Amino acid sequence: MTLFLEQLVNGISLGSLYALFGIGFGLVFATLGVLNVAHGAYASWAAILGYFSVDYFGVPFPAAVAIGVLGGGLIAVTVDQIGFQPLRGRKTGMLGALITSIAFLIILDSLAGMATNHQSWAFPSSSFPSGMVDLGLIRIPEMQIIIIVATLVCGGGIYALIQKTGIGAAMRAVGWNAEAAALSGVNPRIVILLTAFLAGATSGLAGVLGGAATSNISYMLGEGLLLKGFAAVVVGGFDDVRGTVIAGILLGICEVFVAQYLSTTYRDGFTYVLLLTFLVARPRGLFGSRDFMRA
Amino acid sequence: MEALLDFWYAYSATLAFGLVNSLFALSMYSVLSAGILSFTTVVFAAVGGFAAAQMMGTFGLPLWLAVVIAGLLGGLASAIIAALFLKLETHWMALASLALILISRVVVLNTPSLTGGVMGMVVPVRASVLELAVLLAIVSLVFFRLHKSWYGLAIRAVREDAAAASTMGVSARQIQMIAFLISGVVGGLAGAAMATTLQYISADTFYLGVAFTMIASTVLGGSFFWFGPIVGAFVFTALPTITQAVLPEIQDIAKGVVLLVIMIYLPRGLIDPRARGLRKAARQRQQSALNGSDAVEARPGSSTAGHAHD
Amino acid sequence: MTSSDTPVLHELRNVVKRFGGVTAVNDLSMTVNRGTVHGLIGPNGAGKTTVINLITGLFDVSSGSILFQGQRTDTLEPHRIAALGISRTYQNVRLFSGMSVLEQVLTGCYLGRGTSLFASFLGTPDARRKWKASRETAMHLLERVGMADRAGELAETLSYGEQRRIEIARALGSDPKMLLLDEPTAGMNHAEASEIGKLVHELRDSGLTILMVEHNISLVTEFCETCTVINFGQLLAEGTPRTCIDNPDVQTAYFGKKRDALGL
Repeated sequence: MTLFLEQLVNGISLGSLYALFGIGFGLVFATLGVLNVAHGAYASWAAILGYFSVDYFGVPFPAAVAIGVLGGGLIAVTVDQIGFQPLRGRKTGMLGALITSIAFLIILDSLAGMATNHQSWAFPSSSFPSGMVDLGLIRIPEMQIIIIVATLVCGGGIYALIQKTGIGAAMRAVGWNAEAAALSGVNPRIVILLTAFLAGATSGLAGVLGGAATSNISYMLGEGLLLKGFAAVVVGGFDDVRGTVIAGILLGICEVFVAQYLSTTYRDGFTYVLLLTFLVARPRGLFGSRDFMRA
Repeated sequence: MEALLDFWYAYSATLAFGLVNSLFALSMYSVLSAGILSFTTVVFAAVGGFAAAQMMGTFGLPLWLAVVIAGLLGGLASAIIAALFLKLETHWMALASLALILISRVVVLNTPSLTGGVMGMVVPVRASVLELAVLLAIVSLVFFRLHKSWYGLAIRAVREDAAAASTMGVSARQIQMIAFLISGVVGGLAGAAMATTLQYISADTFYLGVAFTMIASTVLGGSFFWFGPIVGAFVFTALPTITQAVLPEIQDIAKGVVLLVIMIYLPRGLIDPRARGLRKAARQRQQSALNGSDAVEARPGSSTAGHAHD
Repeated sequence: MTSSDTPVLHELRNVVKRFGGVTAVNDLSMTVNRGTVHGLIGPNGAGKTTVINLITGLFDVSSGSILFQGQRTDTLEPHRIAALGISRTYQNVRLFSGMSVLEQVLTGCYLGRGTSLFASFLGTPDARRKWKASRETAMHLLERVGMADRAGELAETLSYGEQRRIEIARALGSDPKMLLLDEPTAGMNHAEASEIGKLVHELRDSGLTILMVEHNISLVTEFCETCTVINFGQLLAEGTPRTCIDNPDVQTAYFGKKRDALGL
């Protein structure tokens, strides 16, 4: 029972990382019409930046997280402005943006590989909350709690932003139609920049927290997150933050239990088969309500 | 003569990979030219690659027979996948094809009796550069003929405006099905060519890396004419070799930067038949302006331009 | 049902088309007789293009039926409807980007190619002969619309009026029984428009049936034998152009109070 509960929390925490990462990925896809495969590189870079700031400058962990989040956001905005902005208004559609994002994936991953010497690093255990919380029946790593809370706060915050604020309405409108967005009175440029920044920042947060929790910071970090986050977005529905969060957490739980009770070899396979099944049978996802318009 | 031999030793590997990558790019081009963005070529190549490796390694079949079987099995795989995928809307198909690559990797890793599992497979036969060149020449001939045929005309129509094409009696579904089958066969051949060039294949051989190289080659060379993907594949294969001579650390970065620059400044790729027509029209406009005549009232960027990827 | 001895070639029966909550075509019935030029007119947003899209199968009907030569077509896919002999042009010209003028029209000849895709790929002597014949047909059609001398040029570099004429040639490539023209004179000056009118009459005289969506009322009275007026997707009037225009409902819906200003 203890093992079951601990694994459940473990799964929720793992799934929270997928969800946190997937929120930004889905947001960019629904709002900006970009299937951005470089999204994982933001997470890698955020983790690397966080690690360097601890390693070289000895900043406290919260500051390292903030640096990673900010870094991820700024890289995302830069990528958007250099790579995707010139394509807007041109009818190269989704293909053009996808290829541009592949270009950035190659560039950012290569740079990250150089920066880390193609090795895996870890935060020194004294530099981040690496202890365990004793809840009587079970003991849970502090980082898992931090990850779960961070995901719920970010998911809730972004959901509120999209659903309850004027700029959120404009973001939804851009997803439908750029002209409609212009009519709402919000500068579409600001919507684009904000969306890109939020996406990069949440990806970065997932990167730093995931890198700390798994003690594995490398240029490869983003790739794993990308595939699982992508699955969370598809299963949850592209246009719905709540769907992404729920689907991400469910995926994490399933993965942990498949690995625990069946076999670790089927762990990834399970997620991908689920992903394909949803794409073919229910492309709107579990919770998606409408077809997205652009992309 | 010696210099020539040195050159050959230094660059025959690059040439071989250029030929193999051309096959990958042509397989991708086959579906892309029907307006479909699908990365399933990687899956067809995995089928063909492991099949060829088994044929030659376990059953001792000769190279050419193994290659032909690889092509057929790639075609069979594409028939199954196309039946499943052609119902999907374009975006979903792109995503589903990526998901399929992830799944096939898991399958490859978990069926060691067929694929060697995590150990991968050693391929006992090596294809010579000449043999690869002959294979690419045959495939190119097929694309050349396709371009000149009714299929070539129909597939261009489907890509530019599938609805308008359908009101001319062109069945988009039929054309896209054929495109998938060709992609499958060529993808299977590409996998076999890859296997006999690397002489060692594993789950990582047919994964996202090759998918990205393949789309990059196709877009770089241009996806509006069959010769484009071949040019793109060779440029993309040679590029690391060139940058390695200058600055070894940046070869991957250079790859990304070139791709980025192409997308921003040359989105239709290096080989673009339409550009020739546009230049001709521009020349005529200039001439008639010089002659003071107003006969040509051209509208550049008119309503028909740029449906390319919608 | 015999099809050859009735004068009716094409028929809409109680056709309804809804987009979500909006009813674009509401219980519309319409018949087009063989060998006539039939006008489909109505104010902007009346649902005329929707009707064309329903006939060609680009949209599915919500209810009701569409018959061509007595055969239900509303359940068929667009390329099957085209194969029955219905061809069309588009309101805002939809030529294929990257194709030359000749290639556009050749694509229109796809249905009459007379050879399989595979034979064409192999380049069998028969396929080559048929290909040459199709090319000649295409050139002939280009002559007919006065564009033969531009055959090699990239179609998208030509003027709007020229593109419209190429589109008509392309629509004729399949040797259709019925031709749907969606505002064929939009954006043309009067001389160009009456040239199109002349062409339409020539085509009718050669046995083609034409359904024409048209904005220009004087052209409708000039070119069409019969017409149907719709508004908000509903039938408003039908008959000869004259009786339709004189119909008071049509006048209020379509012309408002500007009838005198139009000089009719």
